[in-house]
Amino acid sequence: MRSFVPITIHSTWVAIDMATVKEIGGPLTWIALPTASAVLPGVAAWRGRAVTVADLAALLDAGERLASPTSRVRTLYLQHGTSTLAVPVDAVREPLVIADDDIRPPRVRTDMFCLGEVDVEGHTTLVIDLGMLLPGYRPPAAASVPD
Amino acid sequence: MVHVHDPRVRWGVPAAQVVRIAAAADWLTGPAVDVLAALGPLPRTDTRRVVVVRGAGDRETALLATGMIDISDVNATDILPLPEALAASAPEISAIVVAHDASLSLLFQPSAVISPDDSALREEPCPSR
Repeated sequence: MRSFVPITIHSTWVAIDMATVKEIGGPLTWIALPTASAVLPGVAAWRGRAVTVADLAALLDAGERLASPTSRVRTLYLQHGTSTLAVPVDAVREPLVIADDDIRPPRVRTDMFCLGEVDVEGHTTLVIDLGMLLPGYRPPAAASVPD
Repeated sequence: MVHVHDPRVRWGVPAAQVVRIAAAADWLTGPAVDVLAALGPLPRTDTRRVVVVRGAGDRETALLATGMIDISDVNATDILPLPEALAASAPEISAIVVAHDASLSLLFQPSAVISPDDSALREEPCPSR
């Protein structure tokens, strides 16, 4: 059993392992980097250091991309190893405890960052590991989902 | 630090590495560099200047500056190095700078900015071949 935070980005539902969530904040002030990718488009300041901004809309091809310096209503700050990701989202739902057996292998998407699927409030929800976006990241063994 | 309030993104360079600031039309040495080119075209303006910095190889490099330019002191604690995940893809940017109003700007490292002249030099064939 693990806890997940369901979030929405436009009409797409996503679940993120609660163990990686360090903070849930309001709208993010960030700055675009000229040579950055659409998925990791820029940086923000958080707790006295610069952190990487991840755009879920670009990652999931789900609606309008982030445009600096504006953001979305909420921001998740995720810790993956020594790296922190700031992830602006449209809404954050109540955390859920989900049994590993209830997480199905992913069908909607088969990207590396998709660990599986689960139903939340009647919505097919992607369980994702955004650490996969970071160079040199090694996922924790507990994050693997049985076939 | 010399800050350029470019409408695309605010950016700056350490003042110690700025040689002079001049009208873009007065820079005749070679093409000037638009450090934000990847973010979109240069905004139209009546006054375009260049910030001439001591760049790679200790040569003068002109950085196109659109928007207001100011010089201000910045606390070391407000200069935040880029995260590892992005540093490799943006070697010319060393950090972000947090202003008093929490707005952000990019801090460029002049020695890592590649000017068109530098690119041409890199593409020259080896004389021994």
